[in-house]
Amino acid sequence: MDGFDLVDVEVTHESAPDLLDSLGTETSVGDHISSVQATRIQAGQPDTELQSLPQLDEESVKLLEHQVDAAYRALFEMDGKALLADEVGLGKTIEVGMILKEMHFRETDGSVLVMTPAQLAKQWQGELREKFGLEFVCNYDDEFDGFDAHDHIIASIDTAKSDRHRKTVLKRDWDVLVLDEAHYVKNEETDRYDLIDRLTYTYAFFLTATPIQNELTDLYNVVSLLRPGLFGTRDAFHHYFVNSSQETLVNRNELQERLGEVMIRNRRAETDIDFTDRTIDTRTFEPTPKERELYEAVSEYVKNAYSQDQGQKLVLMLLQKEVVSSPVALKETIEKRMDDQSELTHTAELQTILDLIDEVETVTKQERLLDIVEEARENVEMGRVIVFTQFRATQREVLERLAAEGYTVHAFHGGHSSSEKEQIVEEFEEEGGILVSTDAMSEGRNLQFCNIMVNMDLPWNPMRVEQRIGRVHRIGQKRDVFIFNMALQDTVEEYVLDRLYHKIDLFQQSIGELSSILSRLEESGSSFEDEIFERLVHANSEADLENDFDAMAVDLEEQQELADKLEEFNDGVFQGFDLGATDD
Amino acid sequence: MTDAAIPITQTAVEQFTRQYLSAVGCRIDADGERWDITVPETTETDVVSGNLTLWCTRDVENDDGGIPLHSESDFFQRLLTEAQDRTLTGRLKLDAEAGDVDMPSWLSGGAVEVADVEFFPVYDRTAVVFLFEVSIETVSEYQREFLQPVAVDTRSQEPLAGLEKRFLDVTSLGTEFEGASQVKTDPDEISTLLEASQDIVENRIQPEIDETLDDASRVADVEVEEFRQLQEQRIEELEAERETLTEQIEELSSQADDADADERITILKERRELNAERENIEDELSDLRRRRDQGFPEKQREIRNRHALNVRVSPVTVTEIVYEQGEAEVKLVDGQQSSTLTVGYGSGVGLTEDVTCAGCEESLGEHRPVQHVQNGPRCEECS
Repeated sequence: MDGFDLVDVEVTHESAPDLLDSLGTETSVGDHISSVQATRIQAGQPDTELQSLPQLDEESVKLLEHQVDAAYRALFEMDGKALLADEVGLGKTIEVGMILKEMHFRETDGSVLVMTPAQLAKQWQGELREKFGLEFVCNYDDEFDGFDAHDHIIASIDTAKSDRHRKTVLKRDWDVLVLDEAHYVKNEETDRYDLIDRLTYTYAFFLTATPIQNELTDLYNVVSLLRPGLFGTRDAFHHYFVNSSQETLVNRNELQERLGEVMIRNRRAETDIDFTDRTIDTRTFEPTPKERELYEAVSEYVKNAYSQDQGQKLVLMLLQKEVVSSPVALKETIEKRMDDQSELTHTAELQTILDLIDEVETVTKQERLLDIVEEARENVEMGRVIVFTQFRATQREVLERLAAEGYTVHAFHGGHSSSEKEQIVEEFEEEGGILVSTDAMSEGRNLQFCNIMVNMDLPWNPMRVEQRIGRVHRIGQKRDVFIFNMALQDTVEEYVLDRLYHKIDLFQQSIGELSSILSRLEESGSSFEDEIFERLVHANSEADLENDFDAMAVDLEEQQELADKLEEFNDGVFQGFDLGATDD
Repeated sequence: MTDAAIPITQTAVEQFTRQYLSAVGCRIDADGERWDITVPETTETDVVSGNLTLWCTRDVENDDGGIPLHSESDFFQRLLTEAQDRTLTGRLKLDAEAGDVDMPSWLSGGAVEVADVEFFPVYDRTAVVFLFEVSIETVSEYQREFLQPVAVDTRSQEPLAGLEKRFLDVTSLGTEFEGASQVKTDPDEISTLLEASQDIVENRIQPEIDETLDDASRVADVEVEEFRQLQEQRIEELEAERETLTEQIEELSSQADDADADERITILKERRELNAERENIEDELSDLRRRRDQGFPEKQREIRNRHALNVRVSPVTVTEIVYEQGEAEVKLVDGQQSSTLTVGYGSGVGLTEDVTCAGCEESLGEHRPVQHVQNGPRCEECS
């Protein structure tokens, strides 16, 4: 990599007078060979075996080869500073557990700080305790007395960066830092990034399934936190690795080589894990005439309002998503906006929509959901089903309806505290029944004990869909997994499902594969969601809309073909690193 | 590049300890992790005396006075130091019996197989193998250390790569040699060979040096850039401060115009103070700008000096090796065809002369393996 001045090198050949003086000494060959052997052993690396492995309870944790390998490499080949970037569901937490166990065994874990998103802190604590016998205090525990009061702490990154704790966190020299969901610190302008940048630590292990979320800069930022200078200056990095005119990669081999010093990425396809089968059952339902009328009214409203004021995009997008989730979700948003006298225009039209909502007597998706859960109650252990929706209002209504029908129900959403969430998952496991969850469940939490999932509505972000699936279809899932997608006919949801998600085989993909498909598509700056919305509001007719979605599907297919080719290339050259496009 | 270091596994620790203690005359009665050592009075070692019990584990409960044996145990470290200091120079002889006759893999290829090899030693030759300890150090990288063997023929000073490999084999754990071991080559000659070997080792480690140099330079560059940005930020701050002061001074000047005599004196005094402050800022600004325009040479130098690489190469053992030079008769078989090749060979050294293709007369090797043997060895193109 050019663009920098080389520092000086001084090579010193040390003389060895004692060595030369001993040349005439008479001795035995055996003695000399012992000396050579001792010299070779002295120069050897300290025992690079995972010595703590035999101490692990096989009942509590079943280690897989790629996990042991990752822990070994992170500790011994990367000098204890590594980015663990396995695809989702391959057990990055287990890898870190092994690393921490080994460090505990070697007594190099004097002070350890594990930083996670808030909702995962308790789960980390539980896993490290149950699987590895490692005791950590969590910032949500009653006995937590601050970052200077304990040596082994699990905390949410936002607690650590808060004004109350920041100073104490930064004051300490940590032996080990673990950062879960490291892509949260990819933006160098945030307080989170600043906190990690200023932390002092000897060993660090960062975890993410999506090292490149949007652009190569993400990778630069995360890697530079871990190994400052590995990629040189930001400018030099961009200049050297990115062809700015085409926004493609150059000098890929060198990038891969450098990444290899710090990043470990296992892919599902390369591991020997026998994942259970995944069956997708997409059910499209004819909406009632009133639901149809409501859908058309909302779509028309969104289209008109957007053409007049693009500043309302997010709210309008929300309405368009809510109308296919449940009328009650839509109603709540519209009423709130009208009460707030927010920027929504055309209040008369909105009032009409509210009237239409009131006229909807049968909510088709909810009725059909009953078919699925009833089938599960009869055929699946403890009738466990997890139902995902994006909206709290939908969640409430579904919960009420299911409870009224006599089902055991559990609610999970972002409003619960971490310990409450922990409790909810435990109860769901013990009592069975139906867990209705928002996407607050999406990251990190494991629900392998459940094998049926229903997408009551579908996020327009495919990554989020895969994250939902990843909660149940991961290592430890012993049964085949069934995913039910619910959609209303001739709605945006059906287009997204049929024309887009099925085209890219979303429901059989993993995030690693998906990201390579999406990264190029999103290079233009607009997200997948934006693309969908823009097509929806700009179509002049049904036929136009279908054509637009078909065009997007063709784009996706092209990206997929490119991604497939790239993956083939990666397999040979990149040893599994997923770096997006290249023009080398 | 071969690193001669032996990984310090528990198996290696136990194997070396057993071998060394036996060599100095101790008896070992092993029962699982427990080793009872009987040490005769005549034993030539300071590490053990009397009888003792070793425990091959880290978690030893020392109720019975047992000594832990593992890579970091004090006992093992002392044992290692004693063994290492015993005799760092020595001589050994590699004859044909000391190992099989090794043929390179390129002598067979396609359907060709090496059916038989016979070695006919003609005379002895001498080589010297130096083990060099190499360390590459810089502030931003972990220190890299490795052991590098270099074997050179005493007469020709040519490097003998095959012999280096053989040397590592015979000095790996579990090998046994007997007999006297006094280096016979003249010390001055050894010194000359050492100098030649130092050049060889420096060339070999150059890729590692270059790689570390790139890494260190890149880190230094980031540090320089961060410093530059910090100074840019300081310049902007100073400019803003100067701007504010200028406004305040102008404001005071207009106030002074309208003020009465007493007030005027106070205002002018205040203005003088602000002027002085502004001058200080201007001085600092111009100094910063000047240094920026020059590229902060002192800071750059300081940063780059701090990141400079320090490479140390030290010879740690010298082994004179006597090997047999002669000819090997190699019988190559290709289906029904066979051919016998006679080629220069040294025990432990391997082939000592080129084998050429009977067709094109180009040298055969990894890049051009033997593919057929009809009328002599032939490469693929000449088959």
